[in-house]
Amino acid sequence: MHFAPLPYLDPGSGSFLIQLLIAVLLGLAVAVRASWSKIKGWFGIKPKADEDDDESSE
Amino acid sequence: MMTNQVNSGQLAASFRDPSGFLFSRGGVLYRQVNRKYEQEYMLLMESGLYEKLVKAGLLIPHVEVDPLPVGGEMAFRVIQPERVPFISYPYEWSFGQLKDAALATLSIQRRALKAGMSLKDASAYNIQFVRGKAMLIDTLSFEIYKEGQPWVAYRQFCQHFLAPLALMALKDIRLNQLLRVYIDGVPLDLASQLLPWTTRFNFGLLTNIHLHASAQKKYAGEEVKSRGGATFGRQAMTGLIDSLDATVRKLNWNPGGTEWGNYYDITNYSDAAFEHKKQLVDEWVKRVNPALAWDLGANNGIFSRVASSNGSFVVAFDIDPAAVEQNYRQAKGEKTENLLPLLLDLTNPSPSLGWANRERDSFGSRGPANLVLALAVIHHLAISNNVPLPQLADFFAETGKWLVVEFVPKSDSQVRKLLASREDIFPNYTREGFEAAFKKRFTIHHAADVHESERVLYLMEGK
Repeated sequence: MHFAPLPYLDPGSGSFLIQLLIAVLLGLAVAVRASWSKIKGWFGIKPKADEDDDESSE
Repeated sequence: MMTNQVNSGQLAASFRDPSGFLFSRGGVLYRQVNRKYEQEYMLLMESGLYEKLVKAGLLIPHVEVDPLPVGGEMAFRVIQPERVPFISYPYEWSFGQLKDAALATLSIQRRALKAGMSLKDASAYNIQFVRGKAMLIDTLSFEIYKEGQPWVAYRQFCQHFLAPLALMALKDIRLNQLLRVYIDGVPLDLASQLLPWTTRFNFGLLTNIHLHASAQKKYAGEEVKSRGGATFGRQAMTGLIDSLDATVRKLNWNPGGTEWGNYYDITNYSDAAFEHKKQLVDEWVKRVNPALAWDLGANNGIFSRVASSNGSFVVAFDIDPAAVEQNYRQAKGEKTENLLPLLLDLTNPSPSLGWANRERDSFGSRGPANLVLALAVIHHLAISNNVPLPQLADFFAETGKWLVVEFVPKSDSQVRKLLASREDIFPNYTREGFEAAFKKRFTIHHAADVHESERVLYLMEGK
């Protein structure tokens, strides 16, 4: 077990790698979602408006 | 505000950041933007990101100050941010407050990415509640987004927000107090050990906490070179932020089952007594007209609202996480802008914390308030916590100029309950003893017997 504090604002090697792992899994999900909305588009289902532009932070 | 200051008015909470620093001049708070941060600052202002964030209530508004009050070679600009009426810390927030701060941080990061920027830190201490909303107060938190780079603040987000929220929701609500010990957030290996084993079936917690903790341990100190395909594209970044957002949203905690959650249902108050108390508080708040009022032992904020509806900014402190949560939800629902519910144990209030004990201010140094409400708390402090009355008077005299305080005599059924299981070692705990102790530090302007009760309400002014 290590107790040395990680440097300030350094993502750390572990934090870096885990992001890559999540990226692989979730990048896929985003891609699937994007193509899914395209497929829905063919059937005339419009994607929802870009929510971040008008949503207020809860 | 008696905030911790180092040389030349520079505030100790912002010393780490090379982009700039906070300082105060003549009671006004400024933030210097260093030359080093020119490019980032200009992109924030010119890309429309600043405007969007301010409009959405996610970033503290500021004005640029000209001429520079300090100048110096390092200075690029000096900005004056809107004053935060009361600085609070994550270990003083209820579950809902920490969750809203987490969601605000992610929402800011999403908008920043669209503008070609990214948050370089995700510290819970950069969020404050202003006009009832969780808002980023560090205007210099943005860096220019370089596609392919992972989120530099990811670990900090997990430690400051995700880990404590998961522990509070899934293990024990009181574990938010770990934030008081670990100033840079809950270490992920600790969170991983404390969380129920079943959280490994939750994808977000499995990856962002459990696997994250294992990876930190396994790759500690190793140099990671990004190889050919191992870059972190924009889509990956969006996926990560969405995943964190979904994981945070799914964490929930509902008040109830704690000590005071249903306090007003179990008091010995009649409706008439309650109404009379409210009416007295209202009358005296109008008379004192305080800018800043602290309600100590506020429960879910009934009396805090009497003060806030008169225009005061009220900080409503209570020891019970359920009461604070209820209070926060109500304030949020009603869009109350001048009421801030916070968690505080009056018998052990927030200390000064951090580097040289100067980064986070203690409870006392964030005062004094213009008015302190201490309703139905004296008996808890004097009898349950054994604080002698003269010391209580000293404490309240240091905490606020004016005091509305309720004396609850021994004959009161609540006090009898407190004394039922212990020896009565409080011979001076009488109305006379109370008044004698408080007269040393206060002038008593009013003493009113609360209708249909044995309690007395006082309006006092500090000497």
